[in-house]
Amino acid sequence: MSRIGVFVCHCGENIGATVDCAEVAKMAKDFPGVAFSIDYKYMCSDPGQTLIKEAIKEHNLTGVVVAACSPRMHEPTFRKVAAEAGLNPYLCEMANLREHCSWVHYKDKSTTLKAAELVRMLVEKVKLNTPLYPIKVPVTKTALVIGGGIAGIQTALDIANSGHKVIMVEKSPSIGGHMSQLSETFPTLDCSQCILTPRMVEVAQHPNITLYTYAELESLDGFIGNFKATIKLKAKSVDHSVCNGCGECSAKCPIKKIPDEFNAGLGTRPAIYVPFPQAVPNKPVIDRDNCTYFRKNGKCGLCEKICPTKAIDFSQKDEFITVDVGAVVVTTGFDIKGTDFFPEYGYGKYKDIITGLQFERLASASGPTLGEIRRPSDGKIPQNIVFISCAGSRDPAKGIDYCSKICCMYLAKHAMLYKHKVHSGKASVFYMDIRAGGKTYEEFVRRAIEEDEVNYVRGRVSRIYEKDGKLIVKGVDTLLNSYPVEIEADMVVLGTAGIANPESESLAQKLHISYDQYHFFAEAHPKLRPVETNTAGIMLAGACQFPKDIPDSVSQASGAASKVSALFSQNELTRDPLIAFVNKNTCVGCFMCQSVCPYLAIEKEKIKAKDGSVIREVAKINPGLCQGCGTCVALCRSKSIDINGYSHKQVYAEVMSLFNERSLEYV
Amino acid sequence: MSDFEPKIIAFVCNWCTYAGADLAGTSRIKYAHNIRIVRFPCTGRIDFMLLLKAFQSGADGIIVSGCHPADCHYTAGNYHARRRWIVFQNLLNFLGIDTRRITFSWVSAAEGAKWGHLVNEVVDNIKKIGPYTEYAKLGKIGIGSISEGNYARIE
Amino acid sequence: MQELNNKIAELLTNNLVSIFISYKKGLNGKIKPAFFTKPNEVYENYFGDEAQQNLAVYVHKPEVKKYSKVGILANIFALKALLQLYAENQIKDNYLTIVTVNQDNKVIVFADFNEIESYIAQHQIEKNTNKQKEINELLSLSREKRWEFWVEQLSSCIKCYACRAICPMCYCSKCTVELNQPQWISVPAHSLGNFEWHIMRMMHLACRCINCQECSRVCPMNIPLHLLTTKINSDMEEEFGQIAGMKTTLDFALNTFKVDDYENFIR
Repeated sequence: MSRIGVFVCHCGENIGATVDCAEVAKMAKDFPGVAFSIDYKYMCSDPGQTLIKEAIKEHNLTGVVVAACSPRMHEPTFRKVAAEAGLNPYLCEMANLREHCSWVHYKDKSTTLKAAELVRMLVEKVKLNTPLYPIKVPVTKTALVIGGGIAGIQTALDIANSGHKVIMVEKSPSIGGHMSQLSETFPTLDCSQCILTPRMVEVAQHPNITLYTYAELESLDGFIGNFKATIKLKAKSVDHSVCNGCGECSAKCPIKKIPDEFNAGLGTRPAIYVPFPQAVPNKPVIDRDNCTYFRKNGKCGLCEKICPTKAIDFSQKDEFITVDVGAVVVTTGFDIKGTDFFPEYGYGKYKDIITGLQFERLASASGPTLGEIRRPSDGKIPQNIVFISCAGSRDPAKGIDYCSKICCMYLAKHAMLYKHKVHSGKASVFYMDIRAGGKTYEEFVRRAIEEDEVNYVRGRVSRIYEKDGKLIVKGVDTLLNSYPVEIEADMVVLGTAGIANPESESLAQKLHISYDQYHFFAEAHPKLRPVETNTAGIMLAGACQFPKDIPDSVSQASGAASKVSALFSQNELTRDPLIAFVNKNTCVGCFMCQSVCPYLAIEKEKIKAKDGSVIREVAKINPGLCQGCGTCVALCRSKSIDINGYSHKQVYAEVMSLFNERSLEYV
Repeated sequence: MSDFEPKIIAFVCNWCTYAGADLAGTSRIKYAHNIRIVRFPCTGRIDFMLLLKAFQSGADGIIVSGCHPADCHYTAGNYHARRRWIVFQNLLNFLGIDTRRITFSWVSAAEGAKWGHLVNEVVDNIKKIGPYTEYAKLGKIGIGSISEGNYARIE
Repeated sequence: MQELNNKIAELLTNNLVSIFISYKKGLNGKIKPAFFTKPNEVYENYFGDEAQQNLAVYVHKPEVKKYSKVGILANIFALKALLQLYAENQIKDNYLTIVTVNQDNKVIVFADFNEIESYIAQHQIEKNTNKQKEINELLSLSREKRWEFWVEQLSSCIKCYACRAICPMCYCSKCTVELNQPQWISVPAHSLGNFEWHIMRMMHLACRCINCQECSRVCPMNIPLHLLTTKINSDMEEEFGQIAGMKTTLDFALNTFKVDDYENFIR
């Protein structure tokens, strides 16, 4: 006979304000099988947990329903509580009174009744719960880091330095990411490459790190501790084991006019190229889309002829390797909107309207102008620059509701750098608000305004057009009662919105992780689990989760690395046993279930007679591979497959407990 | 009919729609109280028999919702479910069962607002259609013909 | 017919099969299944247009399974059923000897299921346009009328499960209808359980039913089950381009999918 305990949480006002928790607890007392029922202000607090533990012991409870927040929030907490009171943790279920009831309905009798029905549904379920025991699985102590920007570099180094193996995959020919493109960094104005490149070299030379550049994740199977990653190594067309990086090939390559990604399109590069001088590895790849040899069927081949080490290999093919990893850290970074996104700013047709990233390249000593600020159209030094923040960001009309977080700071830095380089020049920044939260950030912006005399105008720019070789910037100054402002600029820099990488959606699908409406990867909890995803064993760091600056990326990277190290500190880990299993007696062995299993977890098992002859074949589910989706359960005609935690009996009881004639009086 | 409060049951997957409904909660999006959510690991787990059982249990409407195509936490459960619903819906429609009462949807973990809209829409729609008495009556039709109104009550 | 009898007798005499499933005339003149174990019984064998029953159903009956090697006379429906059963892993290799008589009255003994697959591909069953017309008529009714029609039809079901017993595809050792923990199919003799049973049966037969319509033929209450089987078959063909009993492989409509399956009904 079931003895279920019901514990109704007020969650302070969160539930208590709309649901009459005491009434729910009172009604629950009358549900069949309920032996004890009580409400309390905060069930998850220490006294709340003690209350549950004592009730389990005192009333000899065989199951527990905690009616509180979402099980996605506190199920582990309360299962632990149950376990501490000597009850099997899987005999504890949660009714979601907060997210699915009190927060989404108004205070009303119907809301309280709904809460009571949700409790009864879970009471009916928990009566049929069975004790379950976690599955132990071994851990492969190798981490896969996807993306070689600063976040990936930091993660890889931290994990590698704690003694574990790391495999780093970078899609471009060199690691370094966006940070390698930056000129100087706020708020200290230290040179980005000077602080980054030593770390890049460290990654390349670290004995625990295997680096695959010009490579992409093809697929990921498995689960925490036991992933199998297939990595596509794109054909470099250069044998890096032979190449000595002399650079002759790049110098001689007849194709020279390819827009240079590293210079954000401001410069050009050859078809065989090293992205930038400090690249790691500092060896070239052939961009097959632009190489004459590949485009015109073997014509050219100049690089092959002149290569002193005979490293050019046109016959290379994309290669696929499969590696075993125990954890994955996604550090694929972000992208920015281009100038062509803005009709009001000329749809990208004005050469002298550039993005912040392009300005970084102009200001960088390794950039196309060797650090001189010269405008793209005619190479003249602009005497009047306008910077526009929130270009796209915080603009629901453009579909980007959020603040991109980094633009205020880098535009202040740009204005400052410009004033340092062009002393006679004038710089104006149009802004909505100056968001300079961060250590010494506000001081940095004040310095730009006060010491470097950057003209900050609070207002939006409605339009930019060209007139007599000047860019006419029309805006308003809202601090001067929306007084119209018109500036004749030589160059305009847009602080365009930081956006998710175009490949982020397909990557999320390969990894089976969630992403938000803007396609940034979703963390498991916005506050308490910011570096984990909802898929166990996959972490996030850097701007792939949301635009963020270097210090934030690095701290998140170290956070992700410590999560991985904690995971790797154990030899075995436990997994929820919520997996499917087969009833051998009724399985008829049609094996239609085999092809619905995404994990190939269903095997054939021979049932043998005493003499060893095979009587029949039945399905068998490998508990190490099954992830518990239950697709086979719903497919099996004879219901010979069932699944822990969502068994036929349990879900049936849940469904039948609702609305039937024994249903509560419905308002 | 104005005081009719439909009973709606929702079969949702844990990873997308359940999380989306959680998000609706955290975003304090208000929607009709008529909905009861049953949590499943994946839409692939949702047995078509449970939909019939929900009608038997007295549901006036059913929502089945999971991850968008390609977003399934388990890779493909939603694709298998989608095929199952194509077949099931056609069959129910052929039998004259009111398929307007079953709503299939994809609601992702980021679509709290969509979930709120969906619930409200379904509730409004079912309010217009009215209670699903036809199916409930089946439990009262015994051997013999209904055309004579000869309902044998067997309880 | 003589050629067929000779063949069956030969198979039995040479111990190539220990039982042969075919037809014979019953005392009342009706055609019924025959199970020959000795050559001298074969004179009873009957084969003709009236011999319609799908004999494939007997292959998985325990009384037949006792025999080590089984021969079977299969009409085109039985061939399709056997092929489907083979794909579903229900027929062990070298267990069955399958015999058919083609349109020119030639006796064919199949060497393996690949031969059956190509034989079936060459002998497509013509669609019964009358049945399709009945379905279209039903579909043209209002939903309410359709409901009334089926309530009337299915309320007469007595849950004798003759439809299941005659079906070559219903071979589960424990049918879901027999489960009571939980009770998937309502037991009381009201129509709810009847609907549940027939909906479940159709869902379980979707992509597997070869539409031999034996269930409809044997139903003592004359429920037009062929309408359901024909509908589910035409749905499968229209939606997924798949007809059951056509291939040796196990990739059916409901255990596979296409990424771009239509979903205009999903919001």
